[in-house]
Amino acid sequence: MTTALSLCSVSKSFGGFRALDSVDFAVRAGEVHALLGENGAGKSTLMNIACGLYAPDQGHVEMAGGPVTIAGARDAAARGIGMVHQHFKLVPAFTVLENILLFNPGRPAAEVAKQSLDLAARMGFELDLTRRAGTLGVSEQQRLEILKVLVAGAKIIILDEPTAVLGEEDGRALMQLVRGLAEAGSAVILVTHKLHEALHHSDRITVMRQGRKIAETLPSDMDPIKLTTLIVGEQIVETPALSQSVGGTRIRLNKVRMAGEGGRKGLVDVSFEVRDGEIYGVAGVSGNGQNELAEVLMGLGVPDDGSIEITGFDDVTYEGPAMRRSLGMACIPVDRYRLGLAGGVSVADNYAVNGALAGRYGSWFRFNRARARAEAREAVTAFDVQGVRSMGQKAALLSGGNAQKLVIAREFQGETRVVLAHSPSRGLDVRAGAAVHDRLRAARDRGAAVILISEDLDEILLLSDRIGVLAGGRLAAEFKAPSSRTEVGKAMVSHE
Amino acid sequence: MSSAGVNNGTATAEKPAERSRLRMVPLLEPRQRVPERLRLSVYVVSLLVATLLAVGLLAQAGVPPADLVKEIATTAFSSPRALGSVLALTAPLIVAGLATAIAFRANFWNIGLEGQMILGAIFASYVAIHDIGPDDTRLLLMAAAACIGGMVWIAGPGLLKLRLGVNEVISTLLLNYVAFNLLLHLLYGPWKDPVSAFPHTEQFEAFEKLPALGWMNLTWALPVAGLLALVLWWAFSQSRFGYLVDLMRSNAEMARAVGVPVLGLSVTAILASGAVGGLTGFVISAGIEGRMTQDFFVGYLFSGVLIAFLGRNHPLGVVIVAFFIAVLMLVGQSLQVFFGVPSALVQLVQAIFIICVAASEFFLSYRMHWRSAA
Repeated sequence: MTTALSLCSVSKSFGGFRALDSVDFAVRAGEVHALLGENGAGKSTLMNIACGLYAPDQGHVEMAGGPVTIAGARDAAARGIGMVHQHFKLVPAFTVLENILLFNPGRPAAEVAKQSLDLAARMGFELDLTRRAGTLGVSEQQRLEILKVLVAGAKIIILDEPTAVLGEEDGRALMQLVRGLAEAGSAVILVTHKLHEALHHSDRITVMRQGRKIAETLPSDMDPIKLTTLIVGEQIVETPALSQSVGGTRIRLNKVRMAGEGGRKGLVDVSFEVRDGEIYGVAGVSGNGQNELAEVLMGLGVPDDGSIEITGFDDVTYEGPAMRRSLGMACIPVDRYRLGLAGGVSVADNYAVNGALAGRYGSWFRFNRARARAEAREAVTAFDVQGVRSMGQKAALLSGGNAQKLVIAREFQGETRVVLAHSPSRGLDVRAGAAVHDRLRAARDRGAAVILISEDLDEILLLSDRIGVLAGGRLAAEFKAPSSRTEVGKAMVSHE
Repeated sequence: MSSAGVNNGTATAEKPAERSRLRMVPLLEPRQRVPERLRLSVYVVSLLVATLLAVGLLAQAGVPPADLVKEIATTAFSSPRALGSVLALTAPLIVAGLATAIAFRANFWNIGLEGQMILGAIFASYVAIHDIGPDDTRLLLMAAAACIGGMVWIAGPGLLKLRLGVNEVISTLLLNYVAFNLLLHLLYGPWKDPVSAFPHTEQFEAFEKLPALGWMNLTWALPVAGLLALVLWWAFSQSRFGYLVDLMRSNAEMARAVGVPVLGLSVTAILASGAVGGLTGFVISAGIEGRMTQDFFVGYLFSGVLIAFLGRNHPLGVVIVAFFIAVLMLVGQSLQVFFGVPSALVQLVQAIFIICVAASEFFLSYRMHWRSAA
């Protein structure tokens, strides 16, 4: 196997912060090379250098044995380097074909269309070129992203946490696709947080920590615990801890029915209740009603039928988010950059919104910024939000794990009675994920009723006191912890 | 680049002849954060570049830079009288800029300022012509009516946008023409001046005009504009309202999800923008012209957008920019008169300033790395 791309002792600093410290990294044609590390370990910076978005301060890039200068994304594409970003870069209003063409300017549409269909067929999926990208599901969008760079002739493919937004099933399918790419001769770099992907689907593993390369190893020499230790520099093992005291019913759903988007099932007569001091896990394959459930619980959507009751207020079915929050509801939404944070305003302003709405920083005619800032500073410390250089820094600059910690810091201020957490550790590294889990357990132990919607079955099994399974929009089964992985898994596919 | 050469074994082996053929190419790197000092300096540099371009263009058109400087000095600052004219022109420009900035700040692209001005003036004129209310409070009533007129005119586009997602740029813009035809109908019909038979309303009574300040030709329009700017500064920078509006502008979906009354904030901001737009019409009719004419509004839409944009939608920024635009307008007028510069060129100079400031955004988002490419 020949080396397709190597980064030779590259360093990169941002305003005094050393993001990369003399890192060597190489990927060969025909292999899947997994790149692991915590948020902020330097993986993204390294990959941004590989695809020409950043210039290294020191060191250089080599391709085909000689040094090259990659001058921007277009140059990278011309050299056969394709990056599939974690946050999709698709134009929702454009069709699939238009999105591909946008990435391959100047080529005739008919030729691109034919090549796209050929490539899709070779990778084993169907492709409707005329559909608008905005109407595609997440996994279809992901495939389109990959197809886009393949059509552009990429032989070195960088995938940035490609399964972060996918459910278990889709994730497995994607890993097969990735293997296919490598077998066809591409060099694949797989940036990931998921240990099993690196262990089972890669040929080589590089681990980074704090801007340095810690290890380059083979999957066969590793196991999950060894790998975790390499990544975080210490052992993190989460153990289940069930609830010690469960109180009365806090929130109840009665036959909630809601049409899904794009003709999907949505919710069909979903009823369950969650009591104070327990974590109720909602398991299921993605696209089986999780988004709709989160929507009706947050008060962003109104069910077509049925009701939602919160003890102490009764019927909240038609109440908006403000009323639910005044009843002590906290929400950790699935897409933290869409529903959790306003990226364009400061960390302090993002933190302060709940307090401001409750009148803690003055009336409608007053906003005590100094006080909001001081409280935000305390919360940022208390919740260990890293990477905040000043309270006035824009929230968009926080990495995934820290953005999530900021959301949690905001949501868990004041008295929390009901918590809705939708895939709260998605896209987070092991340490940040464990920190989020600790917060959820702590909220439960303080007596909150926690609803955990997650497509990650391990997360559900680890945290839940009781488990409900969503399948085809119905609550297919309920289990009491400790529950068997196989039984829950079976229920997840019961409707098919 | 030198350090890269040291680390790079092959590069040091290259022959000097080959090295010299290397071309420097820019690599754009997204900025991680933008320090305030950088923001300010980029802004200042962009204004300097714009000034240089403008001076160059005017020199080409036969205005030597030295004469230009003299012209600016005499037009704007040579005497209290000159300064008075600038400030008199500044007042309505401030109000127009504020009206636009309020809406822009809440992500509502109000391009209907002229329509709202016309409706404001019509409502105020109605109160004046029909002698509604006691004489003492007539002026206040006219101002209130003007605000209502502006709100009426923006309510339609606002409703369409918030309910049905209709693009407000188009709806507010087109309603300008409807308002203009309504104005012509009134001025050529029922409200034609009975004294002169010209297409403007009759002269307002003395108590229906904004009183003079007693310094040069200034009226209360200027203090009113200044006070309004202060009130809006407070609303946007010091109140919960302003804080939530900024949050909503950044991410409306998130704001809604955490319980921010997004609809209420939008409605408030849109109506306030319309009200201040109507007030602009009142300030000109009752503060400068003493009647409603058929072209009192012309050009304010563009000026309002320009001022709001250059002032970064900040009420105090609007005040500063409005002053400079007033200077620019008066200088432009005298350049046209004394140097025969075409009016298109004066507009071009304004446009250069906008483009330069708009382009400066780029340098705030990206950082350039010059590096050699093989």
